[in-house]
Amino acid sequence: MADEATPALTDLIAPTSIRLTETATDKFDAIRKVGAALLDTGAIDASYIDAMIERENTISTFVGEGVAIPHGTLAGKDAVKTDALVVLRFPDGIDWDGNEVVVCVGIAARGNGHIALLSQLATVLMEPEKAAALRAATTSDEVYALLAPEEEDSA
Amino acid sequence: MPERTITVASSVGLHARPASLFSQAAAKAGLPVTLTNAAGKTVNAASILGVLSLGIGHGENVVIAADGDGADEALDTLAELLNTDLDKE
Repeated sequence: MADEATPALTDLIAPTSIRLTETATDKFDAIRKVGAALLDTGAIDASYIDAMIERENTISTFVGEGVAIPHGTLAGKDAVKTDALVVLRFPDGIDWDGNEVVVCVGIAARGNGHIALLSQLATVLMEPEKAAALRAATTSDEVYALLAPEEEDSA
Repeated sequence: MPERTITVASSVGLHARPASLFSQAAAKAGLPVTLTNAAGKTVNAASILGVLSLGIGHGENVVIAADGDGADEALDTLAELLNTDLDKE
């Protein structure tokens, strides 16, 4: 169901939404920082951050490869004004229920937009070299290059 | 190879929470399980990234398959999960 209306990941990430030298005391602190970055973009109301915490309490958003994808609950969707992504890197790592997370990709999406976004993101992370490069990224340009759509994206 | 075709019941499709629950269950099955979406792409069902990469929406038909001892029981369990709206509390 990948229709042409699906935006590229990189279209939804503002340059100021890539923060590569963050620190957090624990995963909930990290999620609040991810939420604050989304709030800064104007994409969400502050209540979405609570929905992100609630989601994490329900089930971990750790997806492997040192990456977590904090996002709100279904009920939190009303607090999303526009679709947006933020990328926060925690070079020291965060203990995420026994797993180490270095990169958080925060997601705010209305409707079913998140499905296509998650699909694109997961496809990137399934390539171990790309996932490693994302964990090691020190510039926004690297992040954009890694998340940019591939040409072979046919269908 | 035993397989099941299931229509995904979760109202939000197979994304974060439903995808986590599904891939965790697949990992516990004790034998390799594959998941194929309507477009014909196949991934390891125990990999959450693999499951997410398929971008499976509500109502999409998917195929799960497994081979080996206990494959039928494992597939029945996983099929039941997919038949459930996992995003409902």
